[in-house]
Amino acid sequence: MNIELGEEAAEYGRQARRALEAAGGDRLVQLAETEPGRREALVAPVLGELGAWDLDPRGGGAELEAAAALCRSAGYWALPYPVAERLSRPDPGVDGLLVVADRVPSAAVAHLDLRWAAVTLDGRRGLAVARPADGPPRDNAFVTRLDLQVTDGNGERDAALGLVLPCWTLLGMLDRAMELTRAHVLTREQFGQRLAAFQGVQFQLTEAEVERAGAEILATYALWSLAASPSGSSSALDDALALRLAAVEAAEVVFRVAHQLHGAIGFCDETPLSWLSRYSQPLRRLPFGLSATRTALTDRIGRRGLHGLFGAEATL
Amino acid sequence: MSLVDFSMGEAATALRGELRDLVREHVPAGFLGAFTDDPADLAAAQRFCQLLAEKNLLCLAWPEEFGGRGASVWEQTVVREEMWAHHEPRGAQYMGVNWVGPAIMRHGTPDQQRTYLPPIARGEVIWCQGFSEPDAGSDLASLRTAARRDENGWRVSGQKIWTSYAAMAQWCFLLARTSRGEKKQQGLTVFLVPMSAAGIEVRPIRCMMGPHHLNEVFLDEVLVTEADVLGQVDAGWQVVQEVLAFERVGIARYARCERLLQAAPGVLGDQWDTLPAELRGRWARMLVHCRRARLLAYRVLALQREGRVQPGDAAAYRIAVTRLDQDSAEVLTEIAALAELDGEPGRWFGREVADHWRYSQASTVASGSIEMQRILLARQLLPRKAP
Repeated sequence: MNIELGEEAAEYGRQARRALEAAGGDRLVQLAETEPGRREALVAPVLGELGAWDLDPRGGGAELEAAAALCRSAGYWALPYPVAERLSRPDPGVDGLLVVADRVPSAAVAHLDLRWAAVTLDGRRGLAVARPADGPPRDNAFVTRLDLQVTDGNGERDAALGLVLPCWTLLGMLDRAMELTRAHVLTREQFGQRLAAFQGVQFQLTEAEVERAGAEILATYALWSLAASPSGSSSALDDALALRLAAVEAAEVVFRVAHQLHGAIGFCDETPLSWLSRYSQPLRRLPFGLSATRTALTDRIGRRGLHGLFGAEATL
Repeated sequence: MSLVDFSMGEAATALRGELRDLVREHVPAGFLGAFTDDPADLAAAQRFCQLLAEKNLLCLAWPEEFGGRGASVWEQTVVREEMWAHHEPRGAQYMGVNWVGPAIMRHGTPDQQRTYLPPIARGEVIWCQGFSEPDAGSDLASLRTAARRDENGWRVSGQKIWTSYAAMAQWCFLLARTSRGEKKQQGLTVFLVPMSAAGIEVRPIRCMMGPHHLNEVFLDEVLVTEADVLGQVDAGWQVVQEVLAFERVGIARYARCERLLQAAPGVLGDQWDTLPAELRGRWARMLVHCRRARLLAYRVLALQREGRVQPGDAAAYRIAVTRLDQDSAEVLTEIAALAELDGEPGRWFGREVADHWRYSQASTVASGSIEMQRILLARQLLPRKAP
């Protein structure tokens, strides 16, 4: 058993984080919000240098892990670009893949001139065309409606990859939110002592960390499931939905705690938390939020449950 | 290049199959653990232990020199999962095999090892753990039970409480104060005390988990000798801490949660589809939380194997798994309440769920409260010096 990404992928993730910092770090999302037309131009050079689009996560193995590590680093900086969605592209004829809901299909792809494939949870595939944004990014975090054109119905595996990689982006955001919050409570003093000295503060932080750590291990498991599931196996999609459920729940707890412990400063645009929190919204709500994810998982697994020690598919 | 891999390996998978076969064949249907009012349950557990011992499965984690088979960490994990999932048919052996035995291997004299380890390995003896006291629970080092020297050895007096299995145990792994140091963790000593010794009185405490789980143990001038001291006098705290670290993940609570949750749709049959959709959604969420807790346990074990585990890692797992225990019990109880549980499987399921609910109430208190786990995790998250 090996429960961590391979060293090659982990090192790639670290390099990506440093490169994204050098390219602007926290400033990138701020610039993109001010000038949404530069969304692509702001990040294209650094992603190109990182060889992001040479990765083939569908091949599994090291490249899948490297793709996940890159998404996590992108999330850490709230990178204003759909890295995970582009990495999930099903074929060279399109630039990326979006998992979409039947109701109000949307994605955070406004102000980009890209060709999108789309897939629904039940495996219907097609093309998606983004409508022009109907407001500024400050209001919609680059989310816009999509027009869909269904072409076939063999996309269950696409849906699994298309759900898992964005969860790695969200995980990077949770990493950063925890890091910012820890740093804040270790330095901010009230009543003559650091916030970190108050047990009420400590316990809230542990609640958030358990959620973050849980999302992290499920994200790693979902990668393994993607790589290990035979083509056409439905368990990879079960596992992707299970991950999404845990990751979205974790995001709710982590950002609630992060905001609470930051106090008023956390709402101010001078702190990265304000940006991270707002730009986590599309990842948490699309293609479906907590309730719809839970319903989707429940409907999929029916009476058979989830693969594990005792599931219908459990191996002895 | 080492990629992510969550498979446990062929040996562990084969062992799981072997254990399930043994449970199916030798553990009575409807078994809810050894500690019920029915003596047949304790007898069944004792037989099962001896069966495991005969097959060299009881102490498979022990080194070969002590009669074990040096099993891998994943084989040990499989044993923990399968035993807890099926209501721990080893009964109180858990304490001797996982806790007391390894402590004696590490700190015991050759005489102590010869005396105590073989009966544990054969599944013949029951140990209890004399730690908690009325005024020393999470703050264990505040304990007051004292041992004072006399011409024959030591005289121990005091009171222990919440002592599981004390009424049926032959031996007690007793922590007592032997001197006063600068810190309260100093001056504590571990004694290996026969429960038949004069001056020991056990009083059972009736509780919601059932009989034999909780007891008070009164010690009145109990005579123990130098030969009964485990490790060094006044160095008991180190023994306890070391053994606690040895057994970081503890009970595999997630395994029983998952077995009951996965069994529910089959037991309910077509009634399953008539449950409120919201309840089925909570059930699915609990299955995700079972997986989450299980994988967090594997993470601790993997880190421990590489010598990289920190107390906070194990604490995060314990917080997740004890909350899972209680949350899943709530969901299962609600499912059971909405179903007509006819026939034997239905009745057993109802009894198991009720037992699980009662037992889960203690999970955030027993073996280190959830508050202590949060303190350990917070220490790791918030070191005194800013990172």
